[in-house]
Amino acid sequence: MSYTWILGRRALREALRTPEALVPTLFIPIFFLVVNLGQAGKIFPSSTTGFLNGQNYAAFQLPSSMLLAASFGTAALFLVEDIEGGYFDKLRSSPVPRTSLVLGRLVAELVKGLAIAAVLVLLAFPFGIHLASGFVGFLLLIALTALWAVVYVGFMQLIALKTRSAAATNSGGLIFFPLLFLTPNFVPRHMLTRPMEIAATFNPVTYVMEALRSLILQDLVWGRVFAGFGVVGALGVVMVLLNLRMIRHYD
Amino acid sequence: MSNLAAHRLSGPPGVAPPGPAVETHGLVKHYKGRDGVVEAVCGVDLRVEAGEVFGFLGPNGAGKSTTVRMLTTLLSITSGTARVAGVDIATSPDEARLRMGVALQEAGLDPRQTGRELLVLQCRLFGVSPDDAASRAQQLLELVDLTEAADRRIKGYSGGMKRRLDLASALVHEPQVLFLDEPTTGLDPASRLVVWEEVRRINARGTTVFLTTQYLEEADQLCDRIAIIDGGRIVREGTPSSLKAELRDRLGLDDEPSLDDVFLDATGRTRERVAGVVREVGA
Repeated sequence: MSYTWILGRRALREALRTPEALVPTLFIPIFFLVVNLGQAGKIFPSSTTGFLNGQNYAAFQLPSSMLLAASFGTAALFLVEDIEGGYFDKLRSSPVPRTSLVLGRLVAELVKGLAIAAVLVLLAFPFGIHLASGFVGFLLLIALTALWAVVYVGFMQLIALKTRSAAATNSGGLIFFPLLFLTPNFVPRHMLTRPMEIAATFNPVTYVMEALRSLILQDLVWGRVFAGFGVVGALGVVMVLLNLRMIRHYD
Repeated sequence: MSNLAAHRLSGPPGVAPPGPAVETHGLVKHYKGRDGVVEAVCGVDLRVEAGEVFGFLGPNGAGKSTTVRMLTTLLSITSGTARVAGVDIATSPDEARLRMGVALQEAGLDPRQTGRELLVLQCRLFGVSPDDAASRAQQLLELVDLTEAADRRIKGYSGGMKRRLDLASALVHEPQVLFLDEPTTGLDPASRLVVWEEVRRINARGTTVFLTTQYLEEADQLCDRIAIIDGGRIVREGTPSSLKAELRDRLGLDDEPSLDDVFLDATGRTRERVAGVVREVGA
């Protein structure tokens, strides 16, 4: 763990020294929140829209923005820079466990994800959003978002390690957008058309989004929360195992 | 760099192993390419004695870097065996990594860190405690004359400064064997001399140096022995003077040939072909 943390701290320092990569992570999700609220806010007034539980439409949209913020995957692009610049070979030539080489960045992503999610929630308060699940819900909200960030960076690291190409890694990261739009992004799942509902049911992002949404709109609905953490936990295990397999066979 | 002599590292260098510093038997690397299997290295046998500066020469694509990447555990071995500082690199790679330092062709540095941060991190990765890492980094910064730039980000360093920092980062754990892959490529003549001075100093402390280079003058200046690889096979091996003498005797030359002549003879090239002249050249 110590080597993982040493490399994780280095990855955090790298992120802090590249504010031009951090700022869009906050700005673009807030931009989407504003735009979606502007476009659909009047269609779903809080007074007559049951699924909003008395809040405004921004509260319904906040999980999409949080997931978007957690899916930039810049850590994987930094990894490609390390590979292309030769620093990754420098790290590989040290007697550090191969697992630490990939887990270091994932640990850093967890810490970064917690901070970004917390800031996003704070930035969302001026939109009139409040967390129905209270402080415990707030902690669960940022934890789930940060764990999703780890899953997604784990996925993008796989592309980075396989292709060693910034262009391919960046393009691979765009797969999040079809995943996002195949969720109950604008209305609850039961209001989707049947094909969209089926697609959303098979989309793991749906369960993460519904868990986040329940923490904002409702008190602690443990079934939803466990489903979200279960999906993230399962995908996280898969991503970590695939990353470890990839680094052990990296030539 | 004139004051470099004053900046000696404290503590003993890596203790030389009893046997050869580098030893390979039938080292082979095959890649799967689109047009079938590529035989990059085809059965290389090498023996580098402890304390030597060993030059590994060859034209582009001959298998130099592939061999070095195998020896430094960065590339898997298709077949054959290799030991560095007495350790089998395939079965005990971490133990081998503890005994070798590596500075590859591209100075592998993180541009967002400062020189000091990079060296401290490298020390920590080799198991040095935080306090010792800080003092070790300072020693190395003094050794390569980078103390003034130590707290600046590496992205602002010149090519020569980056190369010196890369060299320092390969020395954090006082390795027994130092692999330098084309350490002076892209450097101006003054920076090249600085690196040569460093290599001599490191070797004088007992560290075996395994050096690849495209500059034959560099090999002539620095190396006790050289091997020339071409087409994935070793085609010449010996001291620079013995290789020159062999060529002179074999071709009945009046003058002492240069290492360039040895290289061109060993790789089947001619000066005219290397220069791009399209004509047949008689022997």
